[in-house]
Amino acid sequence: MTPSSWTITRRDLIRTGTLAAAVGALGMPLPGAPATATARSRVVLARDPAVFDAAGRIVAERLESMLDQAVCSLFGVRNIQDAPAAWRQVAGPKDVVGIKSNVWQFLPTPKELESAICRRLEATGVAPEDIAVDDRGVLKNNVFRRATVLVNIRTARTHHWSGLGTCLKNYIMFVPDPWSYHPNACENLGALWQLPQVKGKTRLNILVMLTPLFHGIGPHHFSATYTWPYAGLVVGRDPVSVDSVGARIIQARRLEYFKEERPISPPPLHIAAADTKFGLGPSTMDRIELVRLGATAGSLI
Amino acid sequence: MHLSFKQAAGAVALILVLAAVLMVWRGRGRPPADGGGVDDPLAGVRDRLPQAVGVWQAETPDREFNPDSIFSYIDGAGEVYRAFDMQRCLSRRYNRPGGPALVLDLFVMATPADAFGVFTHDLDGEPAGIGEDSRYRPGWLCFWQGRLYASIYAEAEADGVPEAVRQLGTATAALVPPAGTRPPILAALPAHGLDAGRIRYFHHPVILSAHYFLANVNLLRLGPGTAAVLADYRRGGSDAKLLMVEYAAVTEAERAEADFLAAYLPEGQAGAATRLENGRWAGVQRADRRLAVVLEAGDAGTAEALLHESLSGGG
Repeated sequence: MTPSSWTITRRDLIRTGTLAAAVGALGMPLPGAPATATARSRVVLARDPAVFDAAGRIVAERLESMLDQAVCSLFGVRNIQDAPAAWRQVAGPKDVVGIKSNVWQFLPTPKELESAICRRLEATGVAPEDIAVDDRGVLKNNVFRRATVLVNIRTARTHHWSGLGTCLKNYIMFVPDPWSYHPNACENLGALWQLPQVKGKTRLNILVMLTPLFHGIGPHHFSATYTWPYAGLVVGRDPVSVDSVGARIIQARRLEYFKEERPISPPPLHIAAADTKFGLGPSTMDRIELVRLGATAGSLI
Repeated sequence: MHLSFKQAAGAVALILVLAAVLMVWRGRGRPPADGGGVDDPLAGVRDRLPQAVGVWQAETPDREFNPDSIFSYIDGAGEVYRAFDMQRCLSRRYNRPGGPALVLDLFVMATPADAFGVFTHDLDGEPAGIGEDSRYRPGWLCFWQGRLYASIYAEAEADGVPEAVRQLGTATAALVPPAGTRPPILAALPAHGLDAGRIRYFHHPVILSAHYFLANVNLLRLGPGTAAVLADYRRGGSDAKLLMVEYAAVTEAERAEADFLAAYLPEGQAGAATRLENGRWAGVQRADRRLAVVLEAGDAGTAEALLHESLSGGG
């Protein structure tokens, strides 16, 4: 591979002083790319330890309450009794809505969350036949093909190639060749969001952090040892700010657990690249308005 | 046209031979329907795997995957095994009533070197004394032996799990003889200051990026035909990271050296250390088909010594 003007080396990152931030993974500008100067992006962190029962199972009513509170806060609706008004900012009677979920066997998107969102969309007037929940079949799903609105929900976890499984990465199933995005720690995942079937359609991103995975081992990259009951949802309109908040929480948990600096590996370069290369949202905390709801103890951010 | 009996018999014999050759040729590379046979990488292993480990009983049937179907089993990381020329994966689940399951994933790689390589991809944990090398950490044991790389995963930690995992690992390792040797390029690593427990062996650039981001392109022309090793050093108060690559041809090594110098050390020259902007030192040097790259060293002397030693056969 003959080096070209597109080549970015580790030394380029050293030279521009961004390597430490890159390895730390959390919201740094890449060389040669200006950060987007936009208004602060609101991200809501909702937490409720009572979302689990004594056996560790999800309590659907508590989860739905967290969801409604977060969506109300995100869309500026002050009273949770007016939650339908907030959901009407997500979709309405004329919309066709694809709910991009995630079926990873160890930490799938909770069914309770999927069904709660479906019911709320129906309550806004979206026809049931115009709502679909899917992950790996989105390219063949007729609702997703017709979709005017996308809702993006997935569980946060570390990931073998991209460092983190994020809201940004959750759209990988919108391409037939996901592995083509693996080079350089999946840096260019932001490009997925420029695809015609995706671009401009996402109204809501939810990074599920009920029991996130902060470290992966083995072929399947999973051990329950490395999850913890964080009991949170991170909710926002743009995926970058949501993922940036999630990444900071995961990184903080690694420090808390390992009791030493162990950067997420590989560094989730795609989060910052989605900001600086693709302009999908802010990745630095000075451009994120973080709203906290519910429990604050152990929030790690 | 009239054929004599002799000619007709000869023609029939020829047709039978050609048909037999065609049947054999068409069958090459396919897994036999029963999962056994001479082309089966798991032959001699599958049937001798334990049916029980203490109170854990094997679930039937086993599941098997090839390099194409592995993605349906391992979400995302299937490429790791393909990057080490995986031939076959057998997955067997062991269950016990009311307790966590154990999952044995047994990968047959093309060569023992590849089994060693995939083992070095994740070196966290403590050596467990199983197979040719092993690691154990809560919930997971892995080891390599011969062409096998094995992962034994417990769905949760519970009483008896660590013992059962080790027992299953020991029994599995005993199914194949050890390779007894590691990839030859390892012998070229200078011994002084080497962290022998953190050596990574690989072919593919995506594996290098997983361990050390060098560039967003395949700067060193890594591929199936190259053998690469990444190692950490500590000498006195100085640490360093050394990458060595062996190419199939001298011309490939020459191109890689030139590309690296042009993109990474444009002000540098082969064999001499160059100071990076973070105060650390890097360098590159080639000898025949072998390339040595010091990616980061605490001082110039350490960088140049590693370059020289790794190519002088003094490892």
